[in-house]
Amino acid sequence: MKLNQADILQNYRITSVQEQEKIQRRLEALGILEGTKVVVLNRKRNGSTIIKVRGSRWALGNEIAEGIEVEELKG
Amino acid sequence: MKEEIRVGFAGNPNCGKTTLFNAYTGANLKVANWPGVTVEKKEGETSYKGQKMRLIDLPGIYSLTSYSMEEMVSRKVILGGEVDVIVNVVDASALERNLYLTLQLLELGKPVILALNMMDIVEERGMELDLHRLPEMLGNIPVVPVSARKRSGLDVLLHAVKHHYEEQVADPVVTYKPNIEMKIQEVSRRIAVEHPDSENIRWHSIKILENDEQIFKDHPIDVSDLLDRDYEKQIINQKYEYIETVLEECVFYKGNRESLTEKADRVLTHPLWGVPVFLGIMAMVFFLTFTVGDIVKGLFESWMDLAFTVARSTLVNLGTADWLVSLIVDGIMTGVGGILTFLPNIFILFLALAFLEDSGYMARVAYVMDGIMGKVGLSGKAFLPMVLGFGCTVPAVMASRTLENQEDRKKTILLTPFMSCSARLPIYVLFADMFFGKHAMMAAFSLYALGLLMAIAIALVIGKLWKSSEKATLLIELPDYKVPNARTIRIYVWEKVKDYLTKAGTTIFVASIVIWFILNYGIHGMTADVTQSFGAQIGKVLAPLLVPAGLGTWQIVVALISGLSAKEVVISSFSVLYGVNNVNSVQGMAVLSASLGSVGFGALNAYSLMVFCLLYTPCVATLATIKRETRSWGWTLKMVFFQLLLAYAASVVVFQAGRLLS
Repeated sequence: MKLNQADILQNYRITSVQEQEKIQRRLEALGILEGTKVVVLNRKRNGSTIIKVRGSRWALGNEIAEGIEVEELKG
Repeated sequence: MKEEIRVGFAGNPNCGKTTLFNAYTGANLKVANWPGVTVEKKEGETSYKGQKMRLIDLPGIYSLTSYSMEEMVSRKVILGGEVDVIVNVVDASALERNLYLTLQLLELGKPVILALNMMDIVEERGMELDLHRLPEMLGNIPVVPVSARKRSGLDVLLHAVKHHYEEQVADPVVTYKPNIEMKIQEVSRRIAVEHPDSENIRWHSIKILENDEQIFKDHPIDVSDLLDRDYEKQIINQKYEYIETVLEECVFYKGNRESLTEKADRVLTHPLWGVPVFLGIMAMVFFLTFTVGDIVKGLFESWMDLAFTVARSTLVNLGTADWLVSLIVDGIMTGVGGILTFLPNIFILFLALAFLEDSGYMARVAYVMDGIMGKVGLSGKAFLPMVLGFGCTVPAVMASRTLENQEDRKKTILLTPFMSCSARLPIYVLFADMFFGKHAMMAAFSLYALGLLMAIAIALVIGKLWKSSEKATLLIELPDYKVPNARTIRIYVWEKVKDYLTKAGTTIFVASIVIWFILNYGIHGMTADVTQSFGAQIGKVLAPLLVPAGLGTWQIVVALISGLSAKEVVISSFSVLYGVNNVNSVQGMAVLSASLGSVGFGALNAYSLMVFCLLYTPCVATLATIKRETRSWGWTLKMVFFQLLLAYAASVVVFQAGRLLS
């Protein structure tokens, strides 16, 4: 599932990140990469999404959220 | 003892570097609660027990891989030989993110001291840190808990700097998995052959494996047989894995805080209510600026009247020459004094903006406005400089440095002057009050809205014209909300008030003298007939051009031209031109509106004037900043012409349409 469709307040794990090179590197440096756990906190109608990763909150534009694949974490 | 130790403050955005810097140096640099407030490097001095230290405050960075313009500044300072020791400031309440940069800095091999900032928040949350184990896991660097806000631990930190500024980290802190370590060894071997004088070979090798462009440029080396895009990911992943072990061993009771922040965000970043709430907050800011400002203004007025009477009679009693009395009272005091009476409005405006910026809401604005800005091809982050533009355009233009790509930066720089800055506020207050009676506030509001709409319309048009190569996307950290800090607010507002007073004492002072001079002198020397003055001569040349806009009198032309020095000067010029001593008082306004009325200048003309002032070329300080930030005279001049044309066209449309309708 793409991050811009993930349910709010659910726990997910990132399975892949496919972005423009520059943004991909940036996200990696922020610790947003394959295997990272993520919670979606809020989303706008245009797809911009607020997530919580490693104790920090990030607002991501829809283009970025679209490139992040996640899977639901059980339990 | 070293003559001077150079200390660089490095750390993630919004972790308190500038607060710490201010605490040590006594500087009053701007501090607020959103990432990206500091966009320039700033230096200051302090000393500890006789040891001089030069402190360097840097823009925040998340990693040594630079992403935007202000981050490159930091990277250059850290990697170049500009500092002896790095004080890595970290937000102790968000170690997981902050320690990534720390690990990178440790790999660099330079002396690093860790300042664990925000210890007060850590305590408030009931978290505990193992300060014994933490340094052990970070290569035994000194770790000093501080609170920049409460000014605790400051001496201890300098003590650590004084005694450890030469200590480099000897052994690698993070050991990677064998496949990566083997590659590091292989690359290191090659670097040692090709670039034997490299300082930290391990660090260079890791950076090469991470595909760092700059390092490749500085140390050209053939490793094509070794490289794989995946190494970078593995290196990052393993650093974060290491951080997780650090947290497990050193942080106790992380607490699952469904914090106040998240509760507040459910309303403030609500998919539907987010935008209306933001507009409501801004409307509130301007409402307070106008109403509260007006109440306080009353106090000022009587003092001003007294000052004028006393000054004139004292000067006359002293036997001062007539022309000098006129220069001092009708020129300087009228011009400068007229502007000072708007100080209460300015004060309230900046107080409100300070609350907005220090509460943590500012970063949310980027998210909330992302949808609307997306329609004009910009990311919500581009809206932050525009909000700052309601205060002053100069820092707002500089704030555009946080935008990642240059095209978006230029676009944002072009839009920012359309946000009504605090210098345009006196124009709105005065003319709306004089001509719009009880609708004054609505008239002023409409100009703020018009500026915003104009900016959006222009962004739409250039979005079509300049095909952007990269799509602008939002990526911004949202900090915790907090109660604004009293000291931060005081510094913020005081610096702005000081700027305003300085401007009154310099630009407006000089402009008032110049205006007085061109009104009282003509080609035949001093003249009592104002129509023979230089001012009238100059104004009359251009006045016919402005007739279609309803601004065709020479006085208005003179006021608008002098307004290029600073927008407040439009008001001080009107005062001097029409000889109104205290323009912002009830009496002053009556005199001025009567004078204007006698030449047929009514509400429609006033509105046209306000529209012109909103849109036309910003002050010289803004132009200089734009020139510096875009590094292009051509671009800056084109912008000036564009704004002049736009202001002219818009005020003509307003005036003509208004005449047709009435």
